[in-house]
Amino acid sequence: MSSRTLARSELARRPGQHLPSLLVTALGAAFGAALLAVSSMIGDYAATTAIGGSAGVERMLTVLSILFLGIAVFVAGVVTTNTFSTIIAGRVHEIALARVLGASARDLRRSVATEGAVVGLLGSVLGVGVGWAVAALVGVIGRASGVALPVPEVLDPVLAVPLVASALTTWLASWLGGARVLTVTPMQALGSAEEAPYDRLSRRPVRTGLAVLAVAAGAVGLGAGVMMGQSSSSGVLVAFLGGVLSFIGVIGLSRLIIPPVLRVIGTLLGRGAPARLGAANAMRHPERSARSTVGIVIGVTLITTFVVAASTARTVLFATTAGAPEEYVEEASRIIDNVTLVFAGLIGFAVVIALVGLVNTLTLGVMQRRREIGLLRAVGFTRGQVRRMITAESAQGAIAATAIGVLLGVVYGWSGALALLGSVSSGAVWPTVPLAFVAAVVVVTAAVALLAALIPSRRATRVTPVAALAVD
Amino acid sequence: MSQPLRAIARVEQLSKHYGSEQARVTALDAVTLSFAAGQFTAVMGPSGSGKSTLMHIAAGLDSASSGRAWIGSTEITGLGDDELTVLRRREVGFVFQSFNLVPTLDVRGNILLPFDLDGRTPTAAETAWIDELIARLGLRDRTAHRPHELSGGQKQRVAIARALATRPTLVFADEPTGALDSATSRDVLRLLQDASRDFGQSIAMVTHDPVAAAHADRVLFLADGRLVRDSGPASAAELSGIVLGLEDAS
Repeated sequence: MSSRTLARSELARRPGQHLPSLLVTALGAAFGAALLAVSSMIGDYAATTAIGGSAGVERMLTVLSILFLGIAVFVAGVVTTNTFSTIIAGRVHEIALARVLGASARDLRRSVATEGAVVGLLGSVLGVGVGWAVAALVGVIGRASGVALPVPEVLDPVLAVPLVASALTTWLASWLGGARVLTVTPMQALGSAEEAPYDRLSRRPVRTGLAVLAVAAGAVGLGAGVMMGQSSSSGVLVAFLGGVLSFIGVIGLSRLIIPPVLRVIGTLLGRGAPARLGAANAMRHPERSARSTVGIVIGVTLITTFVVAASTARTVLFATTAGAPEEYVEEASRIIDNVTLVFAGLIGFAVVIALVGLVNTLTLGVMQRRREIGLLRAVGFTRGQVRRMITAESAQGAIAATAIGVLLGVVYGWSGALALLGSVSSGAVWPTVPLAFVAAVVVVTAAVALLAALIPSRRATRVTPVAALAVD
Repeated sequence: MSQPLRAIARVEQLSKHYGSEQARVTALDAVTLSFAAGQFTAVMGPSGSGKSTLMHIAAGLDSASSGRAWIGSTEITGLGDDELTVLRRREVGFVFQSFNLVPTLDVRGNILLPFDLDGRTPTAAETAWIDELIARLGLRDRTAHRPHELSGGQKQRVAIARALATRPTLVFADEPTGALDSATSRDVLRLLQDASRDFGQSIAMVTHDPVAAAHADRVLFLADGRLVRDSGPASAAELSGIVLGLEDAS
């Protein structure tokens, strides 16, 4: 059996299983393409007006766009890795059978990666097309309201960036997620459909070591930046590098950090059977649960960082510019607000991609637990209780991810403000967390928890108790 | 059985069809029968005889195409999904062939699941009963184990303990020994037999295995969706003969 034949048959037989990966790839590509196309439109427009004249505006916007694209594509990659790993977990029986018939584990993994390459290519072409269309729409709206934005170029070479980045990321994600194939033994083809033991966290000493090192070095950098900030605002650069480094470390450690937080949140959800079972479910596949929520952690951390940094900076500015003309202070704080909102919105897109990932992980989990859900229905779970169980699992993920993200973001945002403005402030500076932001976080978390549970709940409540009796 | 026994569950003119009008498959064809209180009843029949379908409907797991069914004094045909679910939780105990236990709960958690679902803790009397069950079923040093740490026989014992814990009106066992070796099977069957004899627990068991059915007080035979024979206790050899005769006839 060649890996290409296998991949072709999977793609032809069950294309639906790759729809979420296609969607995630397309979302990332569309986001990047739209941002970059709009950036070059604004650059072209700026060049025709008095503010432009230099290529500076376009270059700055392009760099920022690529940064946001990077965040979105990274989150998309984590989501897709998880999707592939979860799909493989559901294919164990077939993979084991292929191994019995003589397929090598390496070939099977390659076949999974071939599926990923196809999905990646299709998704990114689709996504870039949609992104370009969005940019064109922005142009139409702009011209209608009197801003002479040009029509985006179809063959703008910059569009190759999201195309290639998204396609490659999905391919790589399928290769990483496909590693699970290697753990399947031919013996598993013979075993009956028994409940699988819990996944153990594989030990990855090199990765963990590097991540711990990054967190430590980053924390030192962050601290040093804050100290330097007491005398000059150039401390913010050191703090920024320290923050980035430590956050990369935290992401590297997420598989160790997130599961314990999930456990704690799980116990807070209540002692009723639905809540307890929902919370326990996330502990079955700690790595899968961590990957399904880390995208939300990333998004929430970055947004919180911007919001807290901006609000804290404004507090400092108000305090230190007590004598300055009022309109100057107001103008400054309006600019801070707008920039924060735009940045939060752009990073928010990564949260949307992460949400798709959470929905998908929960749904695949439900499909792989059909017999268990059937059993629960047989022994007396009502449909409502099944729905509550799935919602508990989703709420646990959403709350844990947001809690971690807000905590990290407050630390980063505060440090940034201290490093930037410590030298001009008099007295202690405490982080400012706007009440509106807290409210928004609570609302968004609840919305994510409920939205993510919607589709998997519908699937789960459709499982009949007789499904528990089906011997396969 | 000579003396008249109180019916604990019964079905009347029960039919179940699958498929469309044109290509209709009849799994159950107007079956009427009852399960007696305190008895251990086995239901046998060749594959496709309708024995599983009958039991699914009688236990409130599936719906009928026509006819009526009762558990205790409650008519279950026509109940809504939620009412039926609560009835299963309180009035029916289940032992399946495999995958009986919730993997994320330990042994005690699995046994207490029907109480948890009702949102209540067992009373002192119920707790004493559950402890007795745990002791009798040899699970005392296993209560904190999770299902994947148990052998097949131990898992079935936990399932039996859960099924008996609420003292349900009827325990419904679907091929409870289908995935076990013969020594463990005998063990499990004796436990079911004891539950019926010592505690008066009504039990209905679907099986294709004459050795398993030989433990029952009464054996019903289904073929082609109809009840074809109703026998008192019999040896495995006699039951084998009846089953072979049915298979030849169909």
